Amino acid sequence: MNRNFYKTLFLSSIVMLLSACQGSNSEEKITTTITTSGSDKEYLITVTRPNTTLHLVDLQTNKVIRQCDLPAGPGPGTLVMSPDNSIVYILTNHFSDIYGVNIDNCDVVFSTQQSTGNIRVKSIASIAISPDGKEIYTHQNRVKIMNDHYEMLPPQIAAFNTSAGLNVEASRTFDAPRQVTIMDALESGELIIGGQDIFLMDIHSGKYDVILPSLNDKQPGYSGKDVLSVWQMGKINNEFYRMYSRAKFNGKDGDLANAEYLFGHETVNLETGKAEAKDFGPVETVLFTSIRRPGQLNRVYATLNDLKEYDSTTQKLIRSIDLPYTYYCINFSHNGSKIYLSGALDSIAVYDPDTFEKLAHIKLTGDGSMSTSIIFKRQG
Amino acid sequence: MRKQTLFGILLILTTPLLFAASLDTDDSAGAKLIRSNCLGCHVPTDEGLSRISYQRKTPEGWEMTVNRMRLIHRLKINKGDLDIKSSGLHEIVKYLADNQGLAPSETQGVRYLLEQDLNKVETQFDDEFATMCARCHSGARVALQRRTPKEWNYLVDFHLGQFPSVEYSMFGRDRNWFGIARNKMVPLVSKKYPFTSEDWSSWLMTEKPELDGKWILSGHMPGKGYFSATMQVNQNKKDYYSLSVEGNYANGEAIKGTGSSVVYTGYEWRGNINFGDISLRQTLAASADGQTLRGRFYQKGQELIGMKIKALKDNPQTQLLSVFPRHIKKGETTNITITGSGLTDSIILPASITVNKVISQSNNSMVVKVTAKNNAAIGYVNIQVGEAKLTNQLAIYKQVNALEVVPSYGVSRVGDNGGSTPKTDTLFRAVGFDYGKDGIANTADDLNLGYIEDVTWQVVPRDEVAKKDEDVKFAGHMNTSTGQFSPAAAGPNPERYRSTNNAGNLNVIAKLTENGNEISGIGRLLVTVQRWNNPPLK
Repeated sequence: MNRNFYKTLFLSSIVMLLSACQGSNSEEKITTTITTSGSDKEYLITVTRPNTTLHLVDLQTNKVIRQCDLPAGPGPGTLVMSPDNSIVYILTNHFSDIYGVNIDNCDVVFSTQQSTGNIRVKSIASIAISPDGKEIYTHQNRVKIMNDHYEMLPPQIAAFNTSAGLNVEASRTFDAPRQVTIMDALESGELIIGGQDIFLMDIHSGKYDVILPSLNDKQPGYSGKDVLSVWQMGKINNEFYRMYSRAKFNGKDGDLANAEYLFGHETVNLETGKAEAKDFGPVETVLFTSIRRPGQLNRVYATLNDLKEYDSTTQKLIRSIDLPYTYYCINFSHNGSKIYLSGALDSIAVYDPDTFEKLAHIKLTGDGSMSTSIIFKRQG
Repeated sequence: MRKQTLFGILLILTTPLLFAASLDTDDSAGAKLIRSNCLGCHVPTDEGLSRISYQRKTPEGWEMTVNRMRLIHRLKINKGDLDIKSSGLHEIVKYLADNQGLAPSETQGVRYLLEQDLNKVETQFDDEFATMCARCHSGARVALQRRTPKEWNYLVDFHLGQFPSVEYSMFGRDRNWFGIARNKMVPLVSKKYPFTSEDWSSWLMTEKPELDGKWILSGHMPGKGYFSATMQVNQNKKDYYSLSVEGNYANGEAIKGTGSSVVYTGYEWRGNINFGDISLRQTLAASADGQTLRGRFYQKGQELIGMKIKALKDNPQTQLLSVFPRHIKKGETTNITITGSGLTDSIILPASITVNKVISQSNNSMVVKVTAKNNAAIGYVNIQVGEAKLTNQLAIYKQVNALEVVPSYGVSRVGDNGGSTPKTDTLFRAVGFDYGKDGIANTADDLNLGYIEDVTWQVVPRDEVAKKDEDVKFAGHMNTSTGQFSPAAAGPNPERYRSTNNAGNLNVIAKLTENGNEISGIGRLLVTVQRWNNPPLK
């Protein structure tokens, strides 16, 4: 644990990262068939501050077609959509409260203030919805604020009934690991919990196990994986997805000074539950989020100050451009033909994934910093 | 080892606390305010009040604590029928710092934080401590506190409860942060920074000196140069003083001003004083005998623009405080200023220096025109007045071989531009070195020549990225003659690449032309974003 260790760990960790992308129409093969309904229209939904404003964007016209100002305190907006894509659930007010909003009329149909009494709760981008849309799950970091001191309480997973209306209390809770960020649910209902490792929880019994070691991955020749994922993005590939960086040792294990650094992604197929990790390219600059291209899952696109394309089969960088400014969040259209960059400042940029030509610039009112964007389809 | 640690903890827990009893009965405004304002949350215990009576801190540390109660826990200090002008914060801090402060020895090595000397790279803390405690704030902030183990434990829970991202951010998520903090760091800091200590017990029993009287000051004012002055200190009431200062810079410019100070814990001097139109804050520590004050003066609102200060209590006995400049070139004639007390005798210098004329002499200062002979040996020379000597402070040198830029790594912060946070300037100075007789750098005969005045300053890109991004153009302005860097305005700059703010990664170059040769020194300057949270202890 010498200075060199920290220097190299810094290099590794600065490359923190990532995002989860969940999709609806992909398969596990490298090349997938994109199936879409001809009458479906594609939308993007995201949140800006300071007023916690929901923006619904019609991706056919690239116009904001609806804005909803929420009765919520500011904060990054972490979003999940109901299965029928009619209600968006927003974790906001400094990662504390959740609001469910009908996107057709801006009605708030669900809310919970997780902090109650003298217990303050923070969910660091950890929100998921059950496949049937009946329950919202959060990971709760809890502190009990006593008269003259704070007392940390064990973290827990909380379940909320989405049909319970406003000011809902958790219907049940389970013990959970610390240091959890993004989550999602398998189609079979189990909860995927992204922490130091990736866990799977039986949401009825609360029992959980590691399904993919991450920080605690002991693969010889490599360090554990470093992950910071606070973005859940788009139901595109029907997978839980987060990016990592790790050191590949060129000499003795632990010799970070001579190591090379790699980006990779961890995925959990939401249909099958199959969990995998795969390196996709060298660490050359800091990137915050990445995503696999629908239809060509070996092509990984990533962003922060650059837009980059990697081939995870060869683990090579294919293409890279500078961006005019920072975007935290990368997303894809369902058919893989357009990239959407968002989650920073007041715009969404649209790029062609084959040419990196900029196709459109969608202006928002407010700052989308650290907020999720979700791309979904529905009729009308 | 485990037994020893356990024993240590038990010893601390069972040692009677020293001040709690007085909190019940103390008649000071501070104690009254604590009794009338804090009992709503803090519970009386055998030793005093919960939490409060189990910690010791500096005045700044207590100020942060009480302010946190105000800002986060909605404390509104009710002054009752107390006839005080302040909000009550000062009185509470004064009581706590006096009765639950740190002994002088307990602040050694970390006083730079109290002195707001923030361009300091901490290297004294081990990696584990630095990673757990000093990646968000200074290590000194921890080292300037003393707590019982239970209180250190509470501090861990407070950190994670108040700042949940601690265990998610870099060097937090790569470990079991909470477990390490609770199980490893708490025992470590409980042992290293214990609530009870012999030094503190001893300091409590020590009679504290009164600090009124006349003081002789000397220092190097940014942008002005060396100065000498006297500061008259008059006691208004115990620990509260009025100040008036009078003196001169080396260039003859007069210094005149007034101010005030408060002494906490019997030695922690905090004051304000004007040097002409320059408003300075003082953070000083008085020696146990009340004969010296050491610390730093810095500009109000620009903490990085300051100077180290040593002050000497005036005394009929001859004592030498300082000499400036600290170098005389062989064969050259210059005026040197010696400061001290009881300077009634003649100055005695070695034969290699000729005293041409005593230009002025008072009890506290003498200015002497001297010539270093052509054949003088280079090296430090002793200065003697009466029986008093000043050693290794004045050097006869042949040439300036090198300039050292101090601080070696400075940080400046963009600000203003409609925002709530002002710009933070930083100041660089150049210390000269003669490599000595062997002409080789970093050997025992190298001579430290003190600050060199006639250097010119510039900033250059530190690397290719800084060059490409035109950091020199955008990040701010370096005063070429004073070494003071003023950063540019805050906020995204549309003229910059990626509309980034006016941050910059720069090198600072000091240059001096010496015998037709150009001598240069290099330092580092990071121009970065604002600090939004500016507590007294960073």
